[in-house]
Amino acid sequence: MEKLLSVKKIVVGNQQVKILRDISFEVKEKEIVSIVGESGCGKSMTLRTIIKLLPKNLEILSGEIYFDRIEIRKYNEMEKIRGKEIGMVFQEPSSYLNPLFTIGNQIEESIKENISKKEKKEKIVNILKEIGLSPNVYYQYPHQLSGGMQQRAMIAMSLINKPKLLLADEPTTALDVTTAFGIINLLKNLISKYGLSIIFVTHDISLARYISDKIIVMYAGMILEKGNADLVYNKPLHPYTQKLITCLPEKYKKGEKIRTIEGEVPSFKNLPIGCPFSPRCEYRQKLCEEKIPEEIEVDNRIVRCIRYGNFMEN
Amino acid sequence: MKKILQRLKKRNYISFISLWIIVFLYFLAIMADFIAPYPYNKQFRDYPLCPPTKIHFFDHNKKFHLRPFVYEIKLVNPALNQYEIIEKICPIYFFVKGEKRKILGLFPSTRYLFGTKQGKIFLFGTDMHGRDIFSRVLYGARISLSIGVIGVSLSFFLGFLIGGISGYFGGRIDNILMRLVEIFMMFPAFYLMLALRAVFPLNLSSFQIYLLIVVILSLIGWAGLARIIRGMVLSIKEEEYILAAKALGISTFKIIFKHIIPNTFSYSITAITLSIPGYILGESTLSLLGLGIQEPFPSWGNMLSVCIGNLRILSNAPWMLIPGFFIFLTIICFNFLGDGLRDILDPKNW
Repeated sequence: MEKLLSVKKIVVGNQQVKILRDISFEVKEKEIVSIVGESGCGKSMTLRTIIKLLPKNLEILSGEIYFDRIEIRKYNEMEKIRGKEIGMVFQEPSSYLNPLFTIGNQIEESIKENISKKEKKEKIVNILKEIGLSPNVYYQYPHQLSGGMQQRAMIAMSLINKPKLLLADEPTTALDVTTAFGIINLLKNLISKYGLSIIFVTHDISLARYISDKIIVMYAGMILEKGNADLVYNKPLHPYTQKLITCLPEKYKKGEKIRTIEGEVPSFKNLPIGCPFSPRCEYRQKLCEEKIPEEIEVDNRIVRCIRYGNFMEN
Repeated sequence: MKKILQRLKKRNYISFISLWIIVFLYFLAIMADFIAPYPYNKQFRDYPLCPPTKIHFFDHNKKFHLRPFVYEIKLVNPALNQYEIIEKICPIYFFVKGEKRKILGLFPSTRYLFGTKQGKIFLFGTDMHGRDIFSRVLYGARISLSIGVIGVSLSFFLGFLIGGISGYFGGRIDNILMRLVEIFMMFPAFYLMLALRAVFPLNLSSFQIYLLIVVILSLIGWAGLARIIRGMVLSIKEEEYILAAKALGISTFKIIFKHIIPNTFSYSITAITLSIPGYILGESTLSLLGLGIQEPFPSWGNMLSVCIGNLRILSNAPWMLIPGFFIFLTIICFNFLGDGLRDILDPKNW
């Protein structure tokens, strides 16, 4: 399979803080890659970096992003790529839809092809059916739809131009379990139908394993572990991944106290000098607090931990 | 359109009625040539400050007439403008013949909606030159009702454009544009209005003066609006659906005009309708100072301006204040309409 997206050693931030440090990963065609991590560890920012929609005070400081042989960092006509080549679905569908316009109106606006109004409508109705919505939704306003329907409408909107890559920023977090699985199965079906790749951001590692081919575990703006989904889930190497998995409620009996990870995600203004996870890590050594470990390949995946390799040169 | 009217009727009945009153007023203004019984500049020298003519169905013998009629009147005391009723019945006819006028400046006609063959009919009385106030109110509506709408659309166009750009792009553009706005807001509006008017010569044709007033009033009005729109845009552009629109690759222009500006409507529609009265009053202020629409052309403002400061008129001929009632009616209807429109423009209220 060919590489669709490759992110190489991306650093995002400004003079004061670095939100993303040394992020590199690849997405192949028809592949689902999940990015997993706690809140505030830079998952959404990674997606927004790919589509170059960072908040005003942040910029890409170094590194390269290649999408379909285009160097995104230097590319100035992002409007041609956004929506057409790369689609995006967000976490809270109700606030990502403009409340003043009908769904049909909003989907129509994102169609990039030059076709007549009638053809556009036909196209929208087709995609609405495909996505599991009634054609009636065309005339409805966002507030008239349920959360799951809104999310489906968002997906329809981002798929209308048949993009090659879909960025899904926690698309199921705001939904209940049954609707969430409806959406997830829909996304899975879309891969074979449209031949599209998905980057799926979630904080639920078991969901990530279920949906994706590859899992990337992020913490405080760094990738700590990445590799085949089943491998990462069943045999986690990095202490953080291990802890994430032991926190899953399905691993416990009824009434048993769930062990959480002690401590908190460090704030970006006050990052540890060494390994970002070191303050919460039970295997921490003295060197962990001083140096950032390098990414190394162990057991068919990449891990960033002292226990498996060397430290990075500062 | 039909849907909007239905929603308006359901949500806010008062504003629904107001809408029809406004439509009716505009209809009167457009059809003034046909409805007005006399031309706006026709002076009846024998009837200065004549009170409104009463329309009767019963004559002095208590006899019923199917066709309404008026009594002929005669000035008996020119010093005090006292009139006496002569018991001569002058029936009112519809589609009566009169002097030749052009309806809407296009179709010549000699027939008007109503009038009398003998005697005079002054529904709202006459002014000191003996001109029919009813006719003048109709002609004046043309100026007063259009000045508000044209002025508002001009200044809102400027306000949306400058406020929208300033708020969306921020940074240096915002700084420059907002300082410009502050320069406009720095001058007291009234003096700015006078100064702008003073720049231009006095001997302009009435149409030129009309255009000039519209431009002056909107030049004063846009600045405050641009500031408010900027503030709203600043907050709306941080909304998630704007990020989503960007992620869908929608152009900046479309984002501003389709996603951001319509979301300011909840405020700006009310602001628009609330500021229309300001333009009507602004025009009357200029007229009052002799800088606005000049006699004999009527506007509600300059008709009122005659009676302001003239106690004799205020006490003896209160009907000269009727244009003020029309200003009041227009203002209150626009305000109610704005209220109703704000309600129905939010899809959540349907």
